[in-house]
Parts: sequence; structure tokens; C-alpha cells
Amino acid sequence: MRSWWWMPCLLVLAGCQTAPTALPSAEPRPAAECRWEGDGLASEEWVRRALTALEQEGFVIRHTETALGLVNAERTRTVPGYGDFYDRERVGVFGGYGVGGGRGGLATGVMIGFGGGSGGIRRDATRLERVSLVADGDWVRVTRDIQVIDWQGDIREARSASDTDFCLSLRNAMATTDSRGGV
Amino acid sequence: MFRFAILLLALVLTGCATTAPTPEPRELSLAATPGAVLQETVDLLMEEGYVIRHGDVELGRVEAALARWPGYRVRAEVTPEGDAARISMTATRGGRPLPPHLLDRLLAALQTRLGLAP
Repeated sequence: MRSWWWMPCLLVLAGCQTAPTALPSAEPRPAAECRWEGDGLASEEWVRRALTALEQEGFVIRHTETALGLVNAERTRTVPGYGDFYDRERVGVFGGYGVGGGRGGLATGVMIGFGGGSGGIRRDATRLERVSLVADGDWVRVTRDIQVIDWQGDIREARSASDTDFCLSLRNAMATTDSRGGV
Repeated sequence: MFRFAILLLALVLTGCATTAPTPEPRELSLAATPGAVLQETVDLLMEEGYVIRHGDVELGRVEAALARWPGYRVRAEVTPEGDAARISMTATRGGRPLPPHLLDRLLAALQTRLGLAP
């Protein structure tokens, strides 16, 4: 209750948000390892290898376009108890008392209890990872981003993640993958 | 009374926020085949770090997203125009259209990639 006051402030600020002065690029920019030469392989072969490698990593293929050498895939993972950090301050106190009378006696009672905010309900968030790969015949390029979506469907984190580790492991997986599905 | 004022203010501001005009495209004619323009657009957006969500050569359409709050999206449509191609780009930020002049940098980079820079 004590944090009610920021609601109107937020609404006012949301009302006067201004357009950015430039269309943004990813920050950080895709790592150098996220782009490599096609080694003479046809773009369709790269697409086939990418499908196998991504599916082995737990990705679900969302879209392909062989004429562009494009693969789009995504992977979701549950982040347990993501919202708990923010809810921890909501601690409540409840209590009660009672007076009872009987024949020849009087009894009183008081009870008090403390309760935590999360109340035993796990509020898991979802981590969504989206990847696109384009093999245009000369070059193979990979981009990736990660979003964390909380239990209410709000995006809590959004960032580009075309980093060295991911691209190198994907590239290695594709290099050792047979496009017919074997390893 | 004070709460009522806040509610009223919230409703007024919500009313402002729901007007979502259709994005105004930035268009450019390019002396290249539609296929080449589409491929270079995809490559350019990948270099910029965008994740390509959808692409279709026959429809001449590409859609890309950038995961930065509140979420950016760029859409390009390429149509044949005689021997050349015409590209039409729109961008949104958090679902709201961005001014078309912000796409000039991308279109200039696309011209350079196609070897058509003035």
C-alpha cells in the first residue's frame, strides 16, 4: 500500500514518453564468432545442419525459408520463483482474540500469526530465447536474444545475446552434424 | 476524492495511449532484383543484431525484432517495379509506430550493400 504513489507518476511519464532519435542496433553487437564464411557449402545444407543442431539443443523451429537460407527457432525454460525477490517485503500480521464463558469459569484466548507474501504459490517466470540463422551462400550469420517473461506475462528482461559462447557452440555442433540427423 | 482524481487521470492517459496509428512506411526504389534486395535486407538486419522472425521470398516480406525494452520491430516489403525493386520499411517501438525518417540509416546502408550508394 505504501508504494501507491508511483502509479500516477508512472502513468504520467508513460504518457509523455518520446520517440527515440535513432533506430537502435543490438547492444552489444553480435560477436565476431556469430558470422563465418560458408566454406563452399550450399545454403540449403547449412539450413539442414542448423535444424538438426538447434533441435538437439532443445530449440523448436518456428520458421524456415530456404530461398533466403533462413532459420528461426526458439527455446523456453522455466525460471523458478523469479518474482519472489520483489514480493518478499509483503509480510503481513494477522491475529485475533476470543472470550468464552462457561458455567463457573471464563476463558480468554489470543492468537497471532505472521505470513510471507508469496504465500506458498510459486510464481515462475519463462525465459524465452529466440535465434535466427541466415546462410546466404557466402556467409553464415547467427543472432540471438533472450527475454524473461514473468507469471503475469510482462517482459522483465530483454536483451540481445549474440555472444561468442553460443555462436561457437552452435557452429561446432553444425560442423559435426550430419544433415540427415545423425551425429 | 483523491483516489477518484487518480483514477480519472489514469483513464485520460490510457485514452491517449490507445490511439495506435498505422506505421507510415519509408520507401525507396532500388536498381536491383527484388530477390537481391530482400537477401541484403536480411543480411543487414542480422549484422545489426536483429533476430529475423519471418521471411518469405515469394511474398517479398521480412520481419525482424530487437529485444530491447519495450521491443522494436522492423518490417520490410519488397515489390517488383519494372526491372527494379521498391522497398517499403516500417518500424515500431513497443507496438507503436516510429517516425519513418529513423529508417533512413538502414536504407542508406542497404544501398551501400547493393553497390548503389550515390
